Amino acid sequence: MKQHLQRQSGVANVDVSLIDGKVEVTPKEDGKIDPPQLLKATYDSGVSVAELDMTATGKLVKDSSGNLVLQVSPNQSFVLAPNELSKGLEPLMDSPSVITVRGQLYKKPPGKQKKTDVPATLKLLVLEVEKKE
Amino acid sequence: MNRKRLVLLLFTGSLFVPRLQAQVKHIEMRVEGMT
Repeated sequence: MKQHLQRQSGVANVDVSLIDGKVEVTPKEDGKIDPPQLLKATYDSGVSVAELDMTATGKLVKDSSGNLVLQVSPNQSFVLAPNELSKGLEPLMDSPSVITVRGQLYKKPPGKQKKTDVPATLKLLVLEVEKKE
Repeated sequence: MNRKRLVLLLFTGSLFVPRLQAQVKHIEMRVEGMT
């Protein structure tokens, strides 16, 4: 699995801890990493993902459906799942402020024992706002 | 003259200030079924 993930676009390094089942991925500076693709690649290597957390920096914008979106690059953005923290970020929408957030992009649905496919749309549940500039 | 120098100094300095780049900084997964 480690080698499979290291071959993915934008991945600089992969650290696997067998004891606690943790996989840490360090992205390259080129910004080409695609977390949903990484999730799929992990499933493809025969491992089931229970949870995927990420830290990302970007601007807050509103998409065509009115959702709050973290725009990481012109072609990469993450819709924020509504919670108290995302509500607190709404005033920064469409402002030049750049924020860094830690959030949960995927969590395996409870109760399902067999391996599930990656859902088509992933929302970023903000767990912590690390920096506002 | 001094003002010109000051403006030039500020401009040059701003080029070296580390900017907060928009990007994915870190990813962590908890996985099951790993051997």
